[in-house]
Amino acid sequence: MKKSTFFSLLVIFLLIPGTLLLGRSLPGRWYYLTATAIVVEIMLPFFAAFESRRPQARELVILAVMAALAAVSRVAFVFLPYFKPLTGIVMLTAVAFGPQAGFLTGAMAIFASNFFFSQGPWTPWQMFAYGIAGFLAGAVFHGRKKWQNPFVMAAFGFLAVLLIVGPLLDSCTVFTMLTTFTRESLLLIYGQGVPVNLMHGAGTAVTIAVLGKALLKKLSRLQTKYGMLEGNV
Amino acid sequence: MTHDAFSRCHPAVNFLFFVAAIGCGMVIQHPAYILAGVVCGGVYFCLLSGRRGFARIGMLLPLPILTAVLNPLINHRGKAVLFLVMGKPYTLEALCYGLALGGIFLVMLLWFGCYSAVLTSDKFTSLFGSLIPSLSLLLVMVLRLIPAFTRKTKQVLDARRAIGMGAEQTGSLRQKLRSGMTVLSALTSWALEGSIITADSMRSRGYGCGKRTSFRLYRMTGRDWVLLILIGGLFSLVILAGGTDASYTPVMKAAPLGWGFPAYCALLLIPTIFELKEAAAWHISISKI
Repeated sequence: MKKSTFFSLLVIFLLIPGTLLLGRSLPGRWYYLTATAIVVEIMLPFFAAFESRRPQARELVILAVMAALAAVSRVAFVFLPYFKPLTGIVMLTAVAFGPQAGFLTGAMAIFASNFFFSQGPWTPWQMFAYGIAGFLAGAVFHGRKKWQNPFVMAAFGFLAVLLIVGPLLDSCTVFTMLTTFTRESLLLIYGQGVPVNLMHGAGTAVTIAVLGKALLKKLSRLQTKYGMLEGNV
Repeated sequence: MTHDAFSRCHPAVNFLFFVAAIGCGMVIQHPAYILAGVVCGGVYFCLLSGRRGFARIGMLLPLPILTAVLNPLINHRGKAVLFLVMGKPYTLEALCYGLALGGIFLVMLLWFGCYSAVLTSDKFTSLFGSLIPSLSLLLVMVLRLIPAFTRKTKQVLDARRAIGMGAEQTGSLRQKLRSGMTVLSALTSWALEGSIITADSMRSRGYGCGKRTSFRLYRMTGRDWVLLILIGGLFSLVILAGGTDASYTPVMKAAPLGWGFPAYCALLLIPTIFELKEAAAWHISISKI
């Protein structure tokens, strides 16, 4: 068995249930710490797999460039406040380079950009949410040339943000702000997130629809010309 | 970059302190502990960021009040009903719970503010560089590329404006989008071209063959060991001593304060005391000259 596979199994079957058990015995707001710890633990196998692969210089640089691009992309749209192309770029990177590279790009982009704003209790949730955005896009579209129609990908991006990425970001608010976990209080918080998530999803869809073809072409040219990130992702 | 005494300690000391402070701050909902967290966190935050810190804290203070007012609208449990809102009871217990919750959030924001100032990215990577070498390198590269890309984006925007293509403010939504995408596309091409050069030059300098050594700026000194043991000891004392239980709804009750509370205060005051001690030592040494 590969070392990283063994590590993922260890995390899923030992570390996470262990955290749940131990977390329950904490006094006070145990659920908040436990939820955050589990989010961090789910990310560990991704990072461990990347680390144990000993990535080549080219792979490392291209991921860094894409993560930085995603983090900076907002600057190009100074005249359109609320428009954030980050998720779209992360997803397109994942389509080109696969789910694992997509996860890393998303998580790194937001982690690094938080160094310029502020790290906070939201950092792990954001890393996980944007990482999952990349992972999903990569898992569905990577290597399937026929599916890579900009509009199909845009629709996928919109739904993924609305149904998965956005609620994940809201979950941080749920765990910080709620005192009772009743159905109506949960609906209230997630419901309040819907308009923001709609904007976020629309921005992602527009980014993918407009930029998708060009960006994928550039990335695939890079792959054929320099043989980057092939086979091992 | 801040220059307070605690920031000059080994990153491991800083990291352990923030794990302890933020970990306790997240979980404990005992009112006395929250108050201690707000006071100690606020004092250190002001020490770190000076006059700007006061303004930031002033901006954050309405937050607990806001959560206090809003929480009873969601949580209806409690005995002391103040009045009815839309047929649902608005209780004193839920009001206090909301206040406590806002306090916890304030404590976390304060400590995370201090964390950002003390544990800068270079310390973070030097702390985790040997544990996760590839990821730290990735992080360092992203952190260096972000300002470079921001600069380049502004150059592209300026260039477009100069040739009369940059009428973004007056353009329609569609034009704005198109223009932004063009800028992003240009930036991407430039960045990807640059990435090839970086990667090739990394390889030609021998990246990936053999173990990497890294330059170490920080060294564990005796003082750092003492602080590390002190923080670890106080942290375990807070956890083991107990007395941190408190509940608000449906009935308000808080455990009597035990040995854990002074330990908690001492733990949170470590950076502040350390800074004041250094400042005092500095002034004494100046006055001797």
